[in-house]
Amino acid sequence: MAGPMEQFAIDPIYPLEAGGYDVSFTNSSLWMLIALAIVSAFLFVGTRSPKLVPNRWQAAVEYVYDFVRNMLDENVGPEGRRYAPLIFAIFIFVLACNLLGLIPWVGAFTPTSHISVTLGLAFLVFVVVCIVGFARHGLHFFSLFWPKDTFFPLALFVAFIEFVSFLSRPFTLAIRLFANMTAGHVLLKVFGTFVVSLGSFGALPYVFGILPLSMNVALSALEVLIAVVQAYVFALLASIYLNDAVNLH
Amino acid sequence: MPQFDFANVFLSQLVWLAVFFAILYVVVLATLPRLGKVMQAREDQVSSDLDTAEKAKATADKLQADYDAGVAAAQDAARARLTEARTRAAKALEARLAESNAALAARADAAEADLNAARTAAMSEIEAVAADAASDIVEKLTGKRPTPAAASKAARSALA
Repeated sequence: MAGPMEQFAIDPIYPLEAGGYDVSFTNSSLWMLIALAIVSAFLFVGTRSPKLVPNRWQAAVEYVYDFVRNMLDENVGPEGRRYAPLIFAIFIFVLACNLLGLIPWVGAFTPTSHISVTLGLAFLVFVVVCIVGFARHGLHFFSLFWPKDTFFPLALFVAFIEFVSFLSRPFTLAIRLFANMTAGHVLLKVFGTFVVSLGSFGALPYVFGILPLSMNVALSALEVLIAVVQAYVFALLASIYLNDAVNLH
Repeated sequence: MPQFDFANVFLSQLVWLAVFFAILYVVVLATLPRLGKVMQAREDQVSSDLDTAEKAKATADKLQADYDAGVAAAQDAARARLTEARTRAAKALEARLAESNAALAARADAAEADLNAARTAAMSEIEAVAADAASDIVEKLTGKRPTPAAASKAARSALA
């Protein structure tokens, strides 16, 4: 029986090498591609002929777009709308990857359960925040770390902590998403193995498998919730970090 | 955990993530602004519709107020004209009453004067008749006729 970690294994589908580095098209790449395809289809169908009175697809896309715009309005302010496409892309990509990984099929893979992917997205956010911050405020962006009206040595200390916490942001952002996804999938897989091992109890077949199976059903619902919430949290934190860059507190 | 096998999983995932996310960003940039435009247009439409409705309501309210004011003014005017007509009618009635009273009084005065004249005439006639009759009676009794002056004097004193 497959161990609970095997679901995260990367299997090359089309081996590729560029400049001596392995950049194979793997199952992870495949599921990112599927996520991209589904999201693109959703977007293209929803905005094919935008109307004042939207049809269902348009209303669905508008709902997500409105959600992201409101999040930016609340956390960044009127300047935030410029970054709506980026935050929208991050949110919907993470959401699609999270949800697609929950398909109860052995071939399903969750790219966001890999820290390489979440770190890539988190560094994208970090780099954008830095670029926006320095472009808008120049070196004055460093005043983000400096507490106002504070005893100087204390301020120095706080500034150091703020700086470290700023630098650790991409890692916390990445690890939060990766850990949530990984933990959920491990849990599902562990209870899945319980279903098999308890259900194959010879004297009373299937009966004892029901309990972990029902547990798995409940966990799946929880995982759907977590998939949505974590995508939301990722986008929310990205917009909060953007707020720092745009408004400097 | 396969996730931490960075040597084998990191670069390929990062490269494909970069490729797919870039494509996704392009797709988002190609689709969302159109939607944003429509949403903005809808917002504008709704707010302009609300504006129009508000303006229409203001117009309607103004019309209502004008109408009410007009009705009130018309009622006031009607009431004023009614009062005026009533006073004028009362005045006219009074005048006519006074006129007819005066006419009646004049006629009564004339009738009284006629009556007095008739009475005076009748008195003097009665005097003459009484003096005559007294003269006749005295003549029959005494055989001697009194003078007309004495007879009329006696008759007048008897009648007074």
